[in-house]
Amino acid sequence: MIKKIIIIFLFSWSVSQIGFAQEAESLITAVNKKFSLVSDYKAKVLMKFALPGIRINTLSGKVFYKRPNKFRIRAKGIFFVPKDNPIKDIPKLLANTKSYTSVITGYATVEGQRCAVVNVIPLDPNLELIIGKFWIRVKDPLIYLSEITTKENGTIRTQNFYGNYDKYALPDKILIQIEMKKFKVPKLLAMDVKKKSKSNSVSKKSTGEIYMLMSDYKINTKLPNSVFTEK
Amino acid sequence: MEFVRILKNELIKTIKKPRSFIGFGVVAFICLLLQAAFYNDGKEILSFVTGQLENSLTIEGQVLNGNLICFILLQTLIIQMPLLVALVTGDLVSGEIANGTMRFLLTRPASRSKILLAKWLAGVFYTLLLLAFLGVLALFVSRAIFGADDLIHINSEVLTVIQADDMNWRFVGAFGIAFLSLTVVATLAHFLSTVMDNSITPIVSTMAIIIIFTIIGMFDLPSFDILQPFLFTTHMISWKDMFEDPIPKADIINSCVILFAHIVLLLGASLYIFNKKDINS
Repeated sequence: MIKKIIIIFLFSWSVSQIGFAQEAESLITAVNKKFSLVSDYKAKVLMKFALPGIRINTLSGKVFYKRPNKFRIRAKGIFFVPKDNPIKDIPKLLANTKSYTSVITGYATVEGQRCAVVNVIPLDPNLELIIGKFWIRVKDPLIYLSEITTKENGTIRTQNFYGNYDKYALPDKILIQIEMKKFKVPKLLAMDVKKKSKSNSVSKKSTGEIYMLMSDYKINTKLPNSVFTEK
Repeated sequence: MEFVRILKNELIKTIKKPRSFIGFGVVAFICLLLQAAFYNDGKEILSFVTGQLENSLTIEGQVLNGNLICFILLQTLIIQMPLLVALVTGDLVSGEIANGTMRFLLTRPASRSKILLAKWLAGVFYTLLLLAFLGVLALFVSRAIFGADDLIHINSEVLTVIQADDMNWRFVGAFGIAFLSLTVVATLAHFLSTVMDNSITPIVSTMAIIIIFTIIGMFDLPSFDILQPFLFTTHMISWKDMFEDPIPKADIINSCVILFAHIVLLLGASLYIFNKKDINS
């Protein structure tokens, strides 16, 4: 009797896992379908920064994207973007469905939307990506939250806020959170003899945030490649 | 009118001295040398500082630009400038005493105080010229070569990005504070020149004082903490505060007051000593 129960349990668990994998694939396929509607876009962007040890004002500029992974922000002055840029990397990563396996590990509510938590694990262990975790809205799939963990740069968490362009999977607001070390230069190198040294009790590792407010998207305007290279 | 005539005479004497040109030569050489070095290897040099950020962030924009080069030049030369200033101002009084021309000068109807003040103002004018020369080479030539963009200003704890539109008034303030700092050095050298009777000792003594004070200011030792706020060398780098965000106005005013107090005290002491001094040669 117990043997039968165990077999039934294992069978139903395996079936459910296959079901979760299939559901994950269908969610990713639906997201990819939306990504495929956009071959390029440009938009206005307002960027706010909260990076540990860095002071920089809010600045505005223009963002340009072209499939598969050309991306550029043009703004007056100096600013920072994540080294692994999720805005251009995620569509490219998810597009190649044969390079990873995906499975739903649970469900959660993000921004009031019921989302499936989909883990994406690359099949090639030599890849820089360790794991990708995506919170994908179940009804009318869209990525609301993502966590990309790479070998070299830790985890980048991206939260998308959708508005007028959700049918293209283009967010109105993006919050990117990056693991980074607090910026510090030796006092003598910085010629900072007036400042007194502080105790080293504060953790040097912290999270940096880049907040991007996008507007006025122009989609599929056949952007020339030169916008990504010219000064 | 009489004072103006003496001042004019002192200015001509100061500018005509061959050693006055050494300062301009050194400033031009260092500026051009560093500009050439940054033109060739600037990105490598910068990556030494920005490298720790580049693990997680990409820096967009023209980091290596004229504003940054000017800031680096000002930071580098502020160490050498006191020597160049002392080289000329440390000789203004003692040089004439050593040459025997001071007695002749004092036979004029002008008071000793007027003669000393004219010499001091000539030294201050030379300092201003030298700093203006540095300003033209460091700021305008660097901007012509590297272009102008935001400035990445680094202190030991914070990296601040200052917008290019904000740079001109900050540089004017920074050069103003640097001028006040170098005027303290000029006044110190002038004071020592009044006390001593040969031309080399005041120059060497000025540099020795600056080196000792700088070393005291560099170390975070409790026994030095009492001294540091009163040393002019601590406040000589206050020009850098002009590139903080927000600007620490109270600190800048405090530094300027202390620097100004040094000038008044040293000049007052010079006047007192010079008026009492027996000049036998």
